[in-house]
Amino acid sequence: MKYPMTRLGEYTQEHLDYLKRQKKKNATITVARVAILLVLLLIWELAARFEWVNPFITSSPSRIIKTIGGLYADGTLFYHVGTTLSETLIGFFIAVAVGYSVALLLWWSEIFRKVSEPYLVVLNALPKIALGPLIIIWCGTGSEAIIFMTVLIGLIVAILNMLGGFMSTDENKLLLLKSMGASKWQILTKLVLPSALPEFISMLKINVGMAWIGSIMGEYIVSKAGIGYLIVYGGQVFKLDLVMSAVLILCVLAAAMYALVSLLEKLVVKNTQ
Amino acid sequence: MKEVLRFENVSMRYHTKQGETVAVQDLNFSIREGEFTAIIGPSGCGKTTLLSLAAGLLAPSNGRILSSGVSFGYMLQRDELFPWRTIEKNLYLPLEIKGTNTPKNRERALALAEKYGLKQFLKSYPSALSGGMRQRAALIRTLALNPDVLLLDEPFSALDYQTRLNVCNDVYKIIREENKTALLITHDISEAISVADKIFVLSKRPAKILSEHVVSFPEDEPLKRRENKEFSKWFEILWEELNS
Ligand SMILES: Nc1ncnc2c1ncn2[C@@H]1O[C@H](COP(=O)(O)OP(=O)(O)O)[C@@H](O)[C@H]1O
Ligand SMILES: [Mg+2]
Repeated sequence: MKYPMTRLGEYTQEHLDYLKRQKKKNATITVARVAILLVLLLIWELAARFEWVNPFITSSPSRIIKTIGGLYADGTLFYHVGTTLSETLIGFFIAVAVGYSVALLLWWSEIFRKVSEPYLVVLNALPKIALGPLIIIWCGTGSEAIIFMTVLIGLIVAILNMLGGFMSTDENKLLLLKSMGASKWQILTKLVLPSALPEFISMLKINVGMAWIGSIMGEYIVSKAGIGYLIVYGGQVFKLDLVMSAVLILCVLAAAMYALVSLLEKLVVKNTQ
Repeated sequence: MKEVLRFENVSMRYHTKQGETVAVQDLNFSIREGEFTAIIGPSGCGKTTLLSLAAGLLAPSNGRILSSGVSFGYMLQRDELFPWRTIEKNLYLPLEIKGTNTPKNRERALALAEKYGLKQFLKSYPSALSGGMRQRAALIRTLALNPDVLLLDEPFSALDYQTRLNVCNDVYKIIREENKTALLITHDISEAISVADKIFVLSKRPAKILSEHVVSFPEDEPLKRRENKEFSKWFEILWEELNS
């Protein structure tokens, strides 16, 4: 929280100029970002239209729009998006919840922490895709397999990030609480959990990415529906329009989910400097 | 005046993989009710260890620590206010920990805050306060439990020089006004002279008591003490001892 220095009407001309410059700078940045996108799309479109490149391989913005329109028209757009979205979200929430809980357990017990350390390191380094065949045998070829893959990819990262957050609790604040006679439970709830809030948010952000990797990778290995399925299928039958459309949808969804987490961050992490 | 805390042949060793560190050795001293005691010693000599022993956060390796059933309040080098709590909620923290977060105790804490000029900041977060104000809030938080003895671990050393003198003055007055016994440890000789009734000088690690001085000034305020001619004499004496 800052003091309001003076009321708006009392700002000096110098400060008003500063604010104006700042505003202008931000506007310039936004315009540049949008312009770059539009120019690229335009070049892409023109290159495809006049066949400077082979539109069959590169697709083009207008073909992507047409493809998405087609998916929408035959009613499969929301089916595929819904499938992947639910797999991603379920996998995300399981990985985050279980990861958070395991990290808590590891924080609580030093022995447990030390014993599990080599396992965590190895599991973290292991490329989860190597477990693909096992997952198919264990979970079948339905959504469960994909959710399992998503959890697997996000879980270790969630544990390690949260544990890092819990363990980096300020030593002096711990000493302060101990000097007041705080129990371990009180130390946890009054200090460790609130001070690890920024790490929690950053863990969420990382896990948004992990969840999408997990669900798309899962759909690459096994699936009958979903965005990852569209990408694989499109590649196999050489429908690059479909592949590009699916990637575009993926970009939009991932960005939206990241934006939601950022919004959450704004709401909860206000006062932890 | 009765003794509230007494160290008898207290030694403390830390054990780590790198080896054994003797932090304090054969400490013998006591502090009396209502006294402001300062213990000075070079950095790393074992001062914080000594204070943790006094507060019962550490158990001595040898010797005994006797206290007459008094309660302790700890004040650290930094204010350690929780940034996600308002000043008011920070003041209630020790009450929550002790399970004594009653309206009566909250009122007591608020009354202290008001008396010592924190009222306007109660709803603010610590980041909105100056270093001096924050350290004052930390003192009020310590006083919220109404401890008999205050243990102060270099509580001003993180502040810049000007602020340090002023906050030291403030804190001293508050402690006197609330009739608390205080044990201040510091490596700052002049700070010790400006507040203490009694000064113990510690050696380099392992900390042993080199000497004991009873200090008295006609002025009862750190800033005024610093202006007294006696002040520099005391400084020379203690400087010699610390660097011998
Ligand atoms: N928890 C600990 N484990 C091992 N050694 C410690 C620990 N705390 C302090 N020490 C060592 O004990 C000595 C005294 O430390 P401390 O009491 O913090 O000194 P001071 O407060 O005077 O600077 C130092 O050499 C320090 O390295
Ligand atoms: Mg220290």
